[in-house]
Amino acid sequence: MGFITLIVRNATNRPTRTALTAIGLAVAIAAVIILVGISWNFERSFEAIYRSKRIDLIAVHAGSTNQLSSSLDARLVDRVRQIDGVSDASPTLVDTVAFEDQNLASVLVNGWVPESLLFRGIRILDGRSLRPGDDHNVLLGRVLALNLDRKVGDRLDVAGEPFTVVGTFESESLFENGALILPLTTLQKMMGREGQATGLVITAKSPAPESLEPLRKRIEAALPGVAVTPARDYVLADTQIRLAKAMAWATASIAMVLGAVGMLNTMLMSIFERTREIGLLRAVGWRRRRVLALILGESLAIALAGSVLGGMLAAAGMRALTLSPTSQGFIDPRIPPEVLGLGLIMGIGLSMLGGLYPAARAAALDPTEALRHE
Amino acid sequence: MNENPAGPRGLESETVAAPEANRAATAILEGRGLVKHYDDGDVEALRGVSLAIGEGEFVAITGPSGCGKTTLLQLLGGLDRPTGGEVLFRGHPLAAIDLDAYHARQVGFVFQSFHLLPTLTSVENVQVPMFEGPWPRRGRAPRAVSLLAEVGLPHRNAHRPGQLSVGERQRVAIARALANDPTLLLADEPTGNLDSKSQDEILRLLADLRHRRGLTLVIVTHSPEVAAAADRRIAMKDGQIT
Ligand SMILES: Nc1ncnc2c1ncn2[C@@H]1O[C@H](COP(=O)(O)OP(=O)(O)OP(=O)(O)O)[C@@H](O)[C@H]1O
Ligand SMILES: [Mg+2]
Repeated sequence: MGFITLIVRNATNRPTRTALTAIGLAVAIAAVIILVGISWNFERSFEAIYRSKRIDLIAVHAGSTNQLSSSLDARLVDRVRQIDGVSDASPTLVDTVAFEDQNLASVLVNGWVPESLLFRGIRILDGRSLRPGDDHNVLLGRVLALNLDRKVGDRLDVAGEPFTVVGTFESESLFENGALILPLTTLQKMMGREGQATGLVITAKSPAPESLEPLRKRIEAALPGVAVTPARDYVLADTQIRLAKAMAWATASIAMVLGAVGMLNTMLMSIFERTREIGLLRAVGWRRRRVLALILGESLAIALAGSVLGGMLAAAGMRALTLSPTSQGFIDPRIPPEVLGLGLIMGIGLSMLGGLYPAARAAALDPTEALRHE
Repeated sequence: MNENPAGPRGLESETVAAPEANRAATAILEGRGLVKHYDDGDVEALRGVSLAIGEGEFVAITGPSGCGKTTLLQLLGGLDRPTGGEVLFRGHPLAAIDLDAYHARQVGFVFQSFHLLPTLTSVENVQVPMFEGPWPRRGRAPRAVSLLAEVGLPHRNAHRPGQLSVGERQRVAIARALANDPTLLLADEPTGNLDSKSQDEILRLLADLRHRRGLTLVIVTHSPEVAAAADRRIAMKDGQIT
């Protein structure tokens, strides 16, 4: 009989309790993987927008923390284009609308100038893109088109105004697949913000960080009251993303602590029940560290089972989330390997921590007292 | 393992030069002025017990309930520390040697209530002490099988304690006590839970093993038959030898 056989025998001796502990741990690990995975994918997807459109800098009204709350004069874009080092620039106006019939509470609406740099990374699946002169014409992202059940040529009411769907598209960013695109001037009129934009997106002639920083300063100097941020920092600084990350981590940490406490509880119960057995092990010469290894080994066995189960649960959970229409298109069902690894390591690490105290207590037992234990 | 004084070889080659008693010179186990208090001195379980047990001797410790027999056996086996006095194994104070190695390699304990691990089979129970022994991993199971045969239980290898009669359980426990070829076999009322037929069998088995293996055998017992089978009987009362 090997040591591992002994560990597995002990861990499976109470199958229900072991299974419940492993399941509790699995749920905690799955929660970490799903929550952190979603916020991770969210950030990647956000980044993908800027990467695919080759946006290097973003100009918003100074003091705004996210796109939706900023407001700028859209005509500033002409002055930006004149600045040395700027390759291209475009205004963008962003809002959200609801499609109550389809139970979609907050769909992103982009107001873009036809043929602007913002159409990079947008692949037309059906119909055509926006053209100069388009007015009440709309492009639907792939996922949104599915959710709204609209195809090219169909009519669609956006915030009470009738539009014709002229094209559907696929973007490298999941966000845009769930969004719609209108001509900028049309959206400005609908929002009562004629001439306004939420921000300007800028492509530099040279995207190297050394040249980006002086360019950023030149633009800020030329446009007072405008804050210019590198696109990468902009993603990291976005309060919504930061909030999503913080929430994910907070919830995940609580789940993990609960998982570890579950392990602690199970192992404490287990060693308490086996006090006499542990006393016997010490009486036949087992050293303290072998007793410690036995109990830690049992925790590890349960933790490993919980981790495998947790990984599978996370994969199933991610799939299930993408089936809901409101989250569909915003959630990438793939689990980033880094997040999977992190979840498993955290799960195993924390449950070992939960097993450490019971193991230390077992190892510290006095053999005569333990053997007398009723 | 060799630098360990309780190791299998370390002590055998040494001659213990004890100046005082002659018996102490040949004693494998010796207690000097053993005192044991429990509950901060409220209970005086032993009040100055001195004894010497010779190599290969079979000693029975008897006396009324609560007189300190179990306490004495635990001190001799190094399971507990005396409040006063000392225990010497081959002339070395237990306080100065590696007790885990002493338990694993020199002492085999047999308990009244067996203390078998309920989830393990007979063969597995016998292997438990071998983790601290010198045996290669693959050698443990065959060794346990042959020990079970030696204690007269060759057909119950895959049974768990719950599937065995009490007499059979004690045989498994005895085989486990022999797992690492100890020099001492310390048994605390090994027949206390058995009917008289099983008691006779277990007594004969222990006496046999002692001869065959040259064991030093110390048995705490209430049974006159067991006491009569011993070379020497140590009677106790109120924490002292009478
Ligand atoms: N852990 C302990 N704490 C307190 N008192 C103890 C403890 N162990 C033993 N005693 C007391 O010490 C005395 C001697 O106990 P011991 O178990 O050695 O007696 P014994 O001779 O083995 O008795 P029995 O024949 O009933 O087994 C008893 O009065 C007992 O109550
Ligand atoms: Mg007793």
